Amino acid sequence: MGKTRSLLILSVMSGAVSVIRLLGSLAVIYLGLGWKVRKARRALEKELRKAGMSKEDARKIGAQYAAVKDNAIKAIKRSVTGFRFG
Amino acid sequence: MSEKPEKKKTASEDVEELKEVLSAVSTEVPALIKSIIGAVFSEEAGKNMGRAAAAFYKELKDSGMPDNVAVKMTEDYIGVFTSLGDILKRVGEGKGKVFISGGEKGKEIGEEIEKRVKEKLVEKKKAEAEEEEE
Repeated sequence: MGKTRSLLILSVMSGAVSVIRLLGSLAVIYLGLGWKVRKARRALEKELRKAGMSKEDARKIGAQYAAVKDNAIKAIKRSVTGFRFG
Repeated sequence: MSEKPEKKKTASEDVEELKEVLSAVSTEVPALIKSIIGAVFSEEAGKNMGRAAAAFYKELKDSGMPDNVAVKMTEDYIGVFTSLGDILKRVGEGKGKVFISGGEKGKEIGEEIEKRVKEKLVEKKKAEAEEEEE
């Protein structure tokens, strides 16, 4: 009886550790996303400038590209908040 | 009474299974998300998209298009990639319904396709039922 209970507690604890690890990884990904988007945006703008586009126009198009991230996060938030069990 | 030990065993097995699932999810899901993000938002992806847009813009300019029009068209061109999120969102909201862009006309076409698909499914089921009877 005691052995079963301790096994159960151990399993629950290890499950909790997995959940915490998952949340931590997701937080790291979320924090790193902004930096990745900035780098991608800069690379995109650089290529456009090379083709002879003005800085302002390149920035405008770069902003459009960066907006994908916000849209994606909004969509994920909506799907998470809209999720119901059962 | 005899079922009690079996139930306990099942519960502990369930917990063990849940533990394994959680541990797999906690390693696989972040890796999957990372790779998806890497495909869309990386320096290389930005560079590739920039190259495509730059080539498009250059072609327009070389063919004598005014600058503001060329920029607008390049924006629209980039918009095709960036609106993929909207498409996914619509698919998620649609829950199996067919969506075709183009306002009322698109809606009508979507409804027509759904109708035809349903008719075909009914026909198929009927044919299967007849075959079984035979």
